Amino acid sequence: MGPVELLHMSVFSQSFSPCGRFLAAGNNYGEIAVFSLSAALSPDASQASQKPILNFTAHDGPVFSLLSTDTHLLSAGNGEISAWSWAELIKKSTKAAWTRKPSYETSLEIPEINAMIINPKDNSLIVGGGDNNIHIMDMETGIFKSVLKGHTDYIHCLCFKEREEEILSGGEDGAVRIWDSRTNRPVHCIEVFKYEECARPQFGKWISCLATDSDWMLCGGGPSLSLWHLRSMSPTSVFPLPGCQREAVFYQDLIMSVGEGPHVSHCLHGGTVKAQIPCTPSSLNTLALNLKNTEHRVMTVGGSSHQIDVFTNFSYKAFSLSF
Amino acid sequence: MSIKFFRIVQCAFWRMGSVTDDEVIRKRLLIDGDGAGDDRRINVLMKSFTKWCHSNFSPEEGFSQYQRMLTSLAQCEFSMGKTLLVYDMNLKEMENYEAIYADIERSITSAHEKIAECKKEIQRAKRIRKNRQEYDALARVIKQHPDRHETLKQLEALDRELQQLSHIKENVEDKLELRKKQFHVLLTTIQELQQTLENDEKMESDDTQESSMENGD
Repeated sequence: MGPVELLHMSVFSQSFSPCGRFLAAGNNYGEIAVFSLSAALSPDASQASQKPILNFTAHDGPVFSLLSTDTHLLSAGNGEISAWSWAELIKKSTKAAWTRKPSYETSLEIPEINAMIINPKDNSLIVGGGDNNIHIMDMETGIFKSVLKGHTDYIHCLCFKEREEEILSGGEDGAVRIWDSRTNRPVHCIEVFKYEECARPQFGKWISCLATDSDWMLCGGGPSLSLWHLRSMSPTSVFPLPGCQREAVFYQDLIMSVGEGPHVSHCLHGGTVKAQIPCTPSSLNTLALNLKNTEHRVMTVGGSSHQIDVFTNFSYKAFSLSF
Repeated sequence: MSIKFFRIVQCAFWRMGSVTDDEVIRKRLLIDGDGAGDDRRINVLMKSFTKWCHSNFSPEEGFSQYQRMLTSLAQCEFSMGKTLLVYDMNLKEMENYEAIYADIERSITSAHEKIAECKKEIQRAKRIRKNRQEYDALARVIKQHPDRHETLKQLEALDRELQQLSHIKENVEDKLELRKKQFHVLLTTIQELQQTLENDEKMESDDTQESSMENGD
């Protein structure tokens, strides 16, 4: 990997292993790097422990989405989903467990897959991408059982509400659609850009980040990052963040979001921005929290840089892993 | 030091009876020779004692030698007393340190517990803060909508107005009906009267015609 390639590298996706001791990150060259968190966080960590333990090319195109199940790492690139066993990855074997493609209507173009989530209730994988549709695949049999159509432009992000078993999807067309996962029918459609307090016409109407926490939903992208109350379908707070936010999560009493700008923003539900923590990449694409493992409870962010920042105390950057 | 002292005294007294001893102590004595300080004093005392026992001294010399041995013995006793006291002091110090150690252990565990408690408190406080924020956000949205009492009152007023107006409308309609009927009656009577007048006229003109015809005959 030459210096020019490193300079132009962007990290698009991250996922922690089920045990919480490893981090997998995917970049725009189609490579997946596996880092050992226990080595990087141990007291005698060195420069070498901040390099990946395994780095391999997984897809032809960029790896836009990574997802971990209890045993496998799922990665999605240009139209195909590959699964890698975590046990095998830890042993440095790069053979995929399986590779599947959702059934696309046109066989000419292969649309990219932007987001993947798991529905734990019926063990199905929900995938959204460039063909404007959401495909649902059963994890055990590998059959794509349904397609949810409704968006008029490609889908950026997906989210799942456990209690009501609803799928939320946000896309380039500016609409957040809510689907019932049991009947596969659309339930609501919120066009965020039509609300004056959120809309930012200078950036566009696309929705690139979605997060839910029981009755509340965060959405942002072209319009400002805003907190919505889903029962009344009304925006309750709008966050005054300057750039477009690419990923946001709820964490305890805070909302953390990353996007344009070299910082992680900590916000409160009331609409105030509590802190902006600086990071190395000039703009961030992905934020991941390792909540499964209490020893290695870190937050990692990646973006337009070959370095992934690791935060042990969420208020400041501890160190960086690099590809 | 005290152990060494006792061992050497033991050894010195046994040397007379040539009892088997530890190899280590034997070697130590061989290497050490007389030893230093107290050991030396005891060895000298023993040597002078045996010399005094076996040799023939004049009574004055014997007496002076005896005195010297007594002083030496007194010195040995003094140093023994000192070391005993030091030993006691060490034991007491050890106990003291043990007590302090146990105390510190206890305060460490209690500090750990307090830390765990405080962490739980923080979690609770964070949850409470989140709930408060959510409440505030919803309250702000609700405030934007008009007050329910106001709207109810407005609705009631509108209802009443509506009722009043419909009353008036009914009244007006009734009146209209009545007038219509009255006019109808009036018009029909006028028409009938007109008819009767016409009939009368016709009858009159018929009568005059008949009378003129009769007169013409």
